[in-house]
Amino acid sequence: MMKWLEERYDLSDLKEFAKKKHVPAHKHELWYYTGGVALFLIAFQFVTGMILALYYVPYFEQAHKSIIEIVTKLNMGWFFRSVHHWGAQLAIGFLFAHLFATLLLKAYRKPRELLWFSGFILMGISIFFGLSGYFLLWDERAFAAVRVATGGLSAIPLIGDTIKAFLRGGIDVTGETLVRFYAFHVCVLPMATLLLLVIHLALVQHHGMSVPISQQGKESRPTPFFPNALYKDAIIWLIVLGIVVTLATLLPPEIGIKADPLAPPPENVKPEWYFLFLFQTLKLFPGDILGLNGEVIAVMLVVLAMGFCFLIPFFDRKSHAGQRSSVFTLIGTLYLAYFIVMTIVGYFS
Amino acid sequence: MKLDYSLVTRRTFLNTLFGGWVATFCAGSLYALWRGAFPTLGKEPDFVVLNAASDYLEIPPNSTKPFAWGGKLGLIFKRSDNTVVALKGVCSHMECNIVYKPENKRFYCPCHKGWFDEFGKNVEGPPPKPLEFFEYRVEDGKLIVHKQGIKVELPKA
Repeated sequence: MMKWLEERYDLSDLKEFAKKKHVPAHKHELWYYTGGVALFLIAFQFVTGMILALYYVPYFEQAHKSIIEIVTKLNMGWFFRSVHHWGAQLAIGFLFAHLFATLLLKAYRKPRELLWFSGFILMGISIFFGLSGYFLLWDERAFAAVRVATGGLSAIPLIGDTIKAFLRGGIDVTGETLVRFYAFHVCVLPMATLLLLVIHLALVQHHGMSVPISQQGKESRPTPFFPNALYKDAIIWLIVLGIVVTLATLLPPEIGIKADPLAPPPENVKPEWYFLFLFQTLKLFPGDILGLNGEVIAVMLVVLAMGFCFLIPFFDRKSHAGQRSSVFTLIGTLYLAYFIVMTIVGYFS
Repeated sequence: MKLDYSLVTRRTFLNTLFGGWVATFCAGSLYALWRGAFPTLGKEPDFVVLNAASDYLEIPPNSTKPFAWGGKLGLIFKRSDNTVVALKGVCSHMECNIVYKPENKRFYCPCHKGWFDEFGKNVEGPPPKPLEFFEYRVEDGKLIVHKQGIKVELPKA
């Protein structure tokens, strides 16, 4: 087989590349596996999603029923729905770990700003993946969540209403919104993910792994990528796969009562865990702050905080110059602490 | 190559021509995509006509009855003093449907724990504005619910 290829293509460059590729070794290197795990889980979601897409009916009258049929009648249907659900949960979890590790280890600093931007956008896409995928259930909770998420965006001045209409495909959350979210979930977002992922990975390849400022000069001998780092990756991926399958088997996700636009949302309705920090923030703000609309202030603060985080490579001048930057370690820690505390408060409220 | 009496070289001329063509093409395509991505937006109704007005008006005091206000929830609400009002059952915060709690004599939004009193005033939690009330009248046994300040005349059959 190799011989067949080698007779037709010159593979010496590739072989040379595989031999030369090394990754830095230092005491924070474990965090660098989170990105690989996220990559693995995204691939896993692509494959399991393809199976589900063969049977799901994206029409408001049949969507809910088609999921019940996938789970009850289709061969292995319960399994694929369940692993797709848990794969998504873990993917978002590892993406957050990856993002916060990058933030705290300042891996976004020069020259890797574009890596940070592409990764940040991928994080946003993944969250939107989560929201749109979860809406496809067309149950009461999903309906309330999408009403709030799309309704909240309209609090952004000037462009809010346009975004809301674009996402909803109308003035209300209706069956048309379901078709739209289906199209986002199975077509627009996967394409965007592929494109950005290729850019993200090409950039990783181009720059090599970042070494945290604190570890510079202290690293041990770099690890060869083939096979040492790859094997480590593979081991972790296999463990993660085991966790996904175990969770999927022991804790299959529920599906609520079919959505009814005129019914009140269920008591103490809550979004998925990765929205809890936003949900809790919205609950925190009173309707009226010194005569101003509290909702608009809350949404604007969230947008500003996210904007600042997105542009952080430009604000952090010290790590840009290769110095330790304790102010931004503090800022990063604050972001992480806010996320964790609000998620926990939201979960138990 | 540039002719003596020409302002630009042939290369600049062709690049400008070609660049302009590409820019126009892109702008047109983007505009078409933008238009296509947006459906024709409907609007909220100005009024709805409900058959059997008595079903709505003769509910017990301190209770509500839902009706469809376009795609949104509308509520006929009889206060404990027997006054009947019609309102939009949508929270002014994040558009979740509200629910009436007879024991508190208040409306409640389960999404972010917002409360409104019997007169729709936002009294607790995040809602920034009061609830929206409608007007109504009864005609030939039908209940016509309409937005405030709008005159509705039904065609005579």
